[in-house]
Amino acid sequence: MAEKKKVLVIGGGFSGLTAAVESAEAGSDVVIVEKTPFLGGRVTQLNKYFPKLCPPNCGLEINFKRIKNNADISFYTLAEVESISGQEGNYNVTIKINSRFINDKCVGCNACNEACPVEMPNEFNFGLDKTKAAYITHNQAFPFKYAIDGKHCKGKSCAKCVEACKYDAIDLDMKPDTVNLNVASVVIATGWDLYDTAKLDNLGGGNIKNVITNMQMERLASINGPTSGKILRPSDGKEVKNIAFVQCAGSRDENHLPYCSYICCMASLKQATYLREQYPDSKVRIFYIDIRTPGRYEQFYWKVKEDPNVTLTKGKVAKITEDSATGDVELVVEDVLAGNKITEKYDMVVLAAGMVPSTKASKVPGEISYTHDGFVVASYLKKGMYAVGTAKSPVDVAKSVQDATGVAIKTIQSARR
Amino acid sequence: MAEQIIKSDLNFINDVISSGGESLKKCFQCATCSVVCNVTPDDKPFPRKEMLHAQWGLKDKLLSNPDIWLCHQCSDCTAYCPRGAKPGEVLGAIRKLSIEHYAFPSFLGKAVGSPKALLALLVVPVIIFILALMMQGHSLIPEGKIVYAETFMKVPYIDVIFSAAALFALAGFIMGITRYWKDLKSGVDISDNPWQKKVKGPMLMIIINTILEFVTHKRFKKCDVTVERANSHMFVFFGFVGLAITTAWGVAYLYGYEIFGIQPTAIFHFGETPYPQYDPMKIFGNISALVLLSGILLVITNRQKNAEKAGSGSYYDWLFISVILTIVTTGILSEVLRLANIPILAYPVYFTHLVAVFFLFAYAPFSKMAHMAYRTTALVFAKYSGREVK
Repeated sequence: MAEKKKVLVIGGGFSGLTAAVESAEAGSDVVIVEKTPFLGGRVTQLNKYFPKLCPPNCGLEINFKRIKNNADISFYTLAEVESISGQEGNYNVTIKINSRFINDKCVGCNACNEACPVEMPNEFNFGLDKTKAAYITHNQAFPFKYAIDGKHCKGKSCAKCVEACKYDAIDLDMKPDTVNLNVASVVIATGWDLYDTAKLDNLGGGNIKNVITNMQMERLASINGPTSGKILRPSDGKEVKNIAFVQCAGSRDENHLPYCSYICCMASLKQATYLREQYPDSKVRIFYIDIRTPGRYEQFYWKVKEDPNVTLTKGKVAKITEDSATGDVELVVEDVLAGNKITEKYDMVVLAAGMVPSTKASKVPGEISYTHDGFVVASYLKKGMYAVGTAKSPVDVAKSVQDATGVAIKTIQSARR
Repeated sequence: MAEQIIKSDLNFINDVISSGGESLKKCFQCATCSVVCNVTPDDKPFPRKEMLHAQWGLKDKLLSNPDIWLCHQCSDCTAYCPRGAKPGEVLGAIRKLSIEHYAFPSFLGKAVGSPKALLALLVVPVIIFILALMMQGHSLIPEGKIVYAETFMKVPYIDVIFSAAALFALAGFIMGITRYWKDLKSGVDISDNPWQKKVKGPMLMIIINTILEFVTHKRFKKCDVTVERANSHMFVFFGFVGLAITTAWGVAYLYGYEIFGIQPTAIFHFGETPYPQYDPMKIFGNISALVLLSGILLVITNRQKNAEKAGSGSYYDWLFISVILTIVTTGILSEVLRLANIPILAYPVYFTHLVAVFFLFAYAPFSKMAHMAYRTTALVFAKYSGREVK
C-alpha cells in the first residue's frame, strides 16, 4: 500500500485539535501547525465553559492524550505556513518553524525560568502580569516544554538559563527551520484574536486600569491566572464587589466590528456567576443593546437573571472615565427603558470585546477569499481546503467542535478521491 | 401606565427620509447617541427618543417638544453611531419639517425645502427688480460712472421692496412662532415627561439668558467632533450683526441728512451714497462683510472636512449656505467692481446681490434662517419649563 496521504491542519486550538484527532482516528495522517509554542489556543485561557460552567482544561487534556497516543498525528509549534500550492490530493506546503531555543530534553523543571533575568508582559494573561523570557504558559501546557521568547531574550551574552539547565535542553543557537510537505487537504483553523479595545476611545481606549476585557476577566478568574483565581482589580488589588459589563464593546458597530461576536453575551453572563460565587455580597450590572443568547442558551440567561444581585439594563455604555483618586470607574449610559441617563461608579468594568478572526491580521497563503472583516469565505475555497470554527464566523467552542468534527470526514474524502 | 393609542403618521416618516434623514431606519436604539451628546439633559435625553419617535411617525411628539431645537447638530452622535443612522442629520431633517409645519403661508414652507421650487422662488425677486428698473427707466447696464443708487436702483425703490420683504418675513415669523409656542405649551399637557410639568421662571430673565447664550455660543462650544463649528457659526453670526448695524448706520446717514438736514460732521459723512472708503461706517461695513465671508467659508470647509463623520448635509442646509455665500461674495464684488468702474460686470453682480438678499429676507421664516427664531423659542421654552442641561 502506498504512503498515506496527509492532512494539514493550520492552527492548534480547539477546532484544529478536534479536526486533527477526528481525522487521524479515522485513519488519516495529520500534521498540525501552531504558531505559538503550545497547543490548545484560546480555550487554554478560559476559566469555565458556558453554559455548564465546567473547566475547559478537562476536554483539552483528553484531546492532548489522544494526540500523544496517536502515532499518525504530528505537530509543529512556533510554526507558520509560508506557502500553499497545488490542488486537492496534492498540495505542496512550506512551513517555517521558528526557534524555541529549547529542545526535547526539557523536563519542565522551571530552572531556566528562575535563572532568567528578563521580564516581559505575559501575553497569555493579556498583559495582566509579567513573565520571564524563558517561560511556560501554565502548568497544564502542552507540550510541557519551556520556550524562550526570541524577541526579549538577550541571547548568548546572558545565557544564565544555559548554566541553570541540568539537562542540556537549551540551545540559544537554534536556527529557524523550513519543512516541505505534500498533503491531500488543508484545514484552516486559525481562530481569533480579541478586538483591540484601545480603539474604543470613548470607553477609555485601553488607558483605564480598572477597565479590563472579557478575556482578562477569564484570566483573573482562572486558578492558573495572575491572581490564582481571586477576582482582584488591577490598579490596587482590591476585591471587586461592584462590577459592570459593557456589552458590544466594538461589536455590532460599523466603526469597529460590524457583526455580532456571538459569544460575548453568554461570556458576560457566565462571568457574572464568577463574581457572584466568589463574593456573595457583590453586585453585577450588565449593560446591553440586546441580550443575545441563541437557542437553548436562553435558559442560562434566565438563570443568571434570577439572581437579585445581577441587574440587566438596556442601553449601550458610550462614555467611561476614571476617578484617579480612588481608581474607580465611572460610566455613562442611557437606561433606554426608563429614558434616563445614568452615571455610575464601579470597582471594575469589563468590556465585552468582540472576536476578530486571526486571518484579519495574517492571511493564510494561497488562493483564499476573505470577507471585509477577515473571515475566510468557506464557499469560495478550493477543493480540498476547509475552514472551521472562528476562521469563518464568530462561534463558541461547542459549535467549533461540531464544525471541526464534520470537516474530518471531508479530509478523508479528499485523501481518497 | 395608562393605555395609549399611538397615532402613526406614515407620510411624516417619508418626509423625514426625503428631507435628509434617509438613514433614519438604520437606528437600533442602542442609545450611544444620547450618551455622547454633550448638550442633552440627563432626563429623557435626546436624540435616541427622537429617532424612535421619527421611526414610528409620531409627528406630534416631535413637534411639540423643544428637544429637536436644543440639539445643535454637533454630530457627536453621528460620529459614534454604530449603525450609520446619523441622528444629527435626522434631527436636522425633523427641524426642517418643523419649520415647514409652522410656516405661514404654508405653501412657501414646502417650496423653500424643495429643489423643484427653487427656480420659481428665484424668479419672484428677479421680476420685482426688473419691474423696478423699468419704472425708473434704467437699463440693465447703464453707462457712465457707477453710482448704484442713482444710475440703477434708487433708494426709495430699495427701501420699499426690502421693507415689504422684511414685513412679510416678520408676519411669517410671528404666525409661525405663535403656533409653535402654543404647541409647546400643549405638549406639556399631552406629555408623560415629568420635566414638562414644572413650568416656571421669570420670562424676561430667561430671554436675556438665552440671548447671552447665543452671543457666547455656550452650547455650541460643548460639541466634540465639530467643535470648530462654534467659531465658524460665530463669524457668520457676528458678520450678520455687523451688517445689520451697518445698514442702520447707513439709514441714519441718509435720512439724517435728507429729513433732519444733518450735515457731514467730523469723520461722519452724513449725506447721500456712496460714502468714501475711509468713513467709519464704510470701514465697519467692510470688516463685517469680511467676517461673514470668512465665517461662511469656514462653514463650508468644516462641513466638507467632517462630512464622513458628521454627514454631508441636506439640500436645505446647502441652500441656506449658498444664499449667504452669494450675498457676501456679490456684496463685496459689487463694491470692488464699482470702485474699478467696470459696469458690464458691476451691474449684473449688484443685481444678483439684490436678488440674493431678497431671497434671504423674504423667505427667512421658511428657510434654515428660521432656526434663529425657532431655536430661540425652544430654548426660552426649555428654560421656562425647567428643561435645562445640567
